[in-house]
Amino acid sequence: MLELDAITAGYERGKPVIAGISLTVQPGESVGLLGPSGCGKSTLARVAALLHRPDAGRVVIDGTEAGGWRHRAPRAQRTAFGVVFQQPRLSADPRLTLADLIAEPLRANGRSGEPADKVREFAARVGLTEDLLGRRPHEVSDGQLQRACVARALILRPRWLVCDEMTAMLDASTTAALVHAVESYRTETGAGLLAVGHDRVLLNRWCDRTVDWSTLAS
Amino acid sequence: MTTSEAGAPPVLDVRGLSVRFRMRGGRYIRAVTDARFSLAAGERLALVGESGCGKSVLASALLGLLPENAETAGSAVLSDETDLLAADERTLARAIRGRKVGLVPQSPAAHLTPVRTVSSQLEETVRELLRTPRSSLRAAAEEAAERAAFPVDHLDRHPHELSGGLAQRAATALALIGDAPLLLADEPTTGLDRDLVERTVDELARHTGASRALLMITHDLAAAERIADRIAVMYAGRIVEIADAEDFFGTRGPRHPYARGLLDALPERNFIPIPGTPPELGALPEGCAYAERCPRASSECGAQPVLVGGVACHHSEAGVGAAGAEGGAAGADGGVAEADGGAAGAAVGAAESREPREPREPMESMEAGHA
Amino acid sequence: MAEITEPAWRARGVRRRSTRTWRIRTSAVITLAVGLAVLLVPPLVQLDEQAVDLAAKLQPPSLAHPFGTDDVGRDLLLRCVYGLRVSLLVGLVAAVVATVIGTAVGAAAGAFGGRVDRLVMRLVDLFSSVPHLLLGIFIVAMFRPGVWPVVISVALTHWLSTARIVRAEVLSLRARPYVDAAISGGASRVRVAVRHLLPGVLPQAGLAAVLMVPHAVWHESALSFLGLGLPTHQASLGTLVQSARGSLLAGDWWPTLFPGLFIIVPTLAIAGLAGAWRERLNPRRRSELML
Repeated sequence: MLELDAITAGYERGKPVIAGISLTVQPGESVGLLGPSGCGKSTLARVAALLHRPDAGRVVIDGTEAGGWRHRAPRAQRTAFGVVFQQPRLSADPRLTLADLIAEPLRANGRSGEPADKVREFAARVGLTEDLLGRRPHEVSDGQLQRACVARALILRPRWLVCDEMTAMLDASTTAALVHAVESYRTETGAGLLAVGHDRVLLNRWCDRTVDWSTLAS
Repeated sequence: MTTSEAGAPPVLDVRGLSVRFRMRGGRYIRAVTDARFSLAAGERLALVGESGCGKSVLASALLGLLPENAETAGSAVLSDETDLLAADERTLARAIRGRKVGLVPQSPAAHLTPVRTVSSQLEETVRELLRTPRSSLRAAAEEAAERAAFPVDHLDRHPHELSGGLAQRAATALALIGDAPLLLADEPTTGLDRDLVERTVDELARHTGASRALLMITHDLAAAERIADRIAVMYAGRIVEIADAEDFFGTRGPRHPYARGLLDALPERNFIPIPGTPPELGALPEGCAYAERCPRASSECGAQPVLVGGVACHHSEAGVGAAGAEGGAAGADGGVAEADGGAAGAAVGAAESREPREPREPMESMEAGHA
Repeated sequence: MAEITEPAWRARGVRRRSTRTWRIRTSAVITLAVGLAVLLVPPLVQLDEQAVDLAAKLQPPSLAHPFGTDDVGRDLLLRCVYGLRVSLLVGLVAAVVATVIGTAVGAAAGAFGGRVDRLVMRLVDLFSSVPHLLLGIFIVAMFRPGVWPVVISVALTHWLSTARIVRAEVLSLRARPYVDAAISGGASRVRVAVRHLLPGVLPQAGLAAVLMVPHAVWHESALSFLGLGLPTHQASLGTLVQSARGSLLAGDWWPTLFPGLFIIVPTLAIAGLAGAWRERLNPRRRSELML
């Protein structure tokens, strides 16, 4: 279970972007978080993925309270989350090939021995053809790059997925393909999902339940 | 829905527009191939397609904003006979951009100068385009702001003090100042909330009115449905279908298999993705570029389909019987995509099925490009 | 149709690069010529730049001595080439040392942030508050005249700007989602710094190093001109100009002019090349094909 308990967070002292927000995701559940841009839902997603330290509140992951944020979080807790962001261009290190991009989490965890096959497996899951794997981000389209970012988020087999506006820049077909890739991974592993977005139709279709930001913030 | 009087020339007539990029090693990337469409006053055309299909390149070509390694062919003629592709940079800068073609940008935040107030940017554009005397600049700027429903009391703010919607209106106000007969909107709704998308496209529709024409480039089909009279679907650099929006989104539906797949992928419809990914623009197959992903592909698809009656497909809905091919056509050429997860296999299969085809009879309109 | 007759292609895009191309080519030719001259002339020519010929002292430029001779009759062209060799060497080594220090300090400050960052940047501010020529003079004055004190002096006064540039770059990269993704993927601090941040700043740091070479050459010249840098018998561009002061007052212009040109032209050429590099470094936000 992923519990966000009375989270207050922001980027400047004394100016919280979100205040006292609580949200729970059951194991295997997919929750869509719907809100207008600038409301702070992305900040909440970053707090949930242990990427932003809140000013107050707790995050409890499968019964264990988060030990810290960013590098201070224990590696096992950090890697329990797979994250996908809105803009693939900014989420990909421009110097890495797509294969290296997808393999990076394996290497960062000292599992350099297994990349090649794993990368191919996960690339196929998100519909990336092999000829694209040798390219660098500026040589592929936004859609192809986002596919690689999803593969990177899945490759460590996280128990939780946090997708922050994952499909906002993508066309209908790529959107559907990536949502299907995420869902087939979830069916297989029972991972839980927090999907943040502003497209009600999409989130209703994608998630078990959709939470409106306005109901959380009140 | 076209409101132009008979005989009036279209606001924009695009004939055989092609763009290719010269790459290292003498390779070429064909970003746009043989696009043709025309836009009458009062018409709103949405150009839709996946990212990387060449639609933004087409927009850049119309604005003369292509990078140096680009080459163009064909013509894009305005109602006054100016060819946007043949015009030199001076003409484009002095007489066309802003005056004849107004651009509503993809990212208003990036389009506005961050260090200057909205009014100073509006005033500068008013001065440049309309030669308004200094004394009445402020009034003209306010008028421009009002046209785009930008609140006048926000004029003295800097772009970062505006919400996304207001920034979009400020950018729209800039685009409208020159009273250009053609509005070009390049992904005007990317990253906006649904409400804001709807408001933005409604405003664009209002600005188009009966006297202007709008070309909106977008990957957002819902936005396209809301605004457009006609839809042009682009795939791998080609326009594969051009249809009335009512038919396209209505009961008749799209006729090109790709367009049908795209609509089917919408979350409000079947939410089923098209298998596979688009081909590389640098290595396009001889024939139909969609064949490798198409459930209807057959041996015929090894030849390039021609855009006839608004659709470029050997097996389009209307053309199935006429073409004499069976609808299913599974396994004919190895280029048949499986329903799910067979992307890699389908791509490989299609790559192998590129045998040369005998040339077909020449078509009309060879004169394009000598405007 | 496009497949049957290849359409009539015309090049699009604005040719605004002509002056730029010209500038880059000129810079490249001069830099290449300078490089060849300082590398090849001394071993090939085997002339003694120190050869004194009092009978031919202070001769204006002629065929035998294209740059003229100095006040003890040494050939100025040869002295200039040797001087350039020493000055460039000093400039190059100083620039590399300064860049290494600056990159390390800046990257550490940016990557660790917080207290480390504040402490380091206060230190940088402190150093910067002293005019760096003055600081340089202070450092040189602590040693005997020679090549190394000048190198150390120039390096120690020039890493500050690099540290600032690198820190700013690291800070901006650190806020990118791809660093978030790396952290979420379990990357350690060191891995994020070495694999994701450092490669991103190296081009900037390299550019700063190249841009610093001319600056370091000027500094060497300034220190030597003030009599604090290299010993006067050692030909460097600075010492050449310095020892020519006396003859300039007597109306002999060439001993000042030619070494002066040797300071200005090669350094401008190097800066020109660096400028071209900087233009290439502009980040490509959109994909190369605008897709």
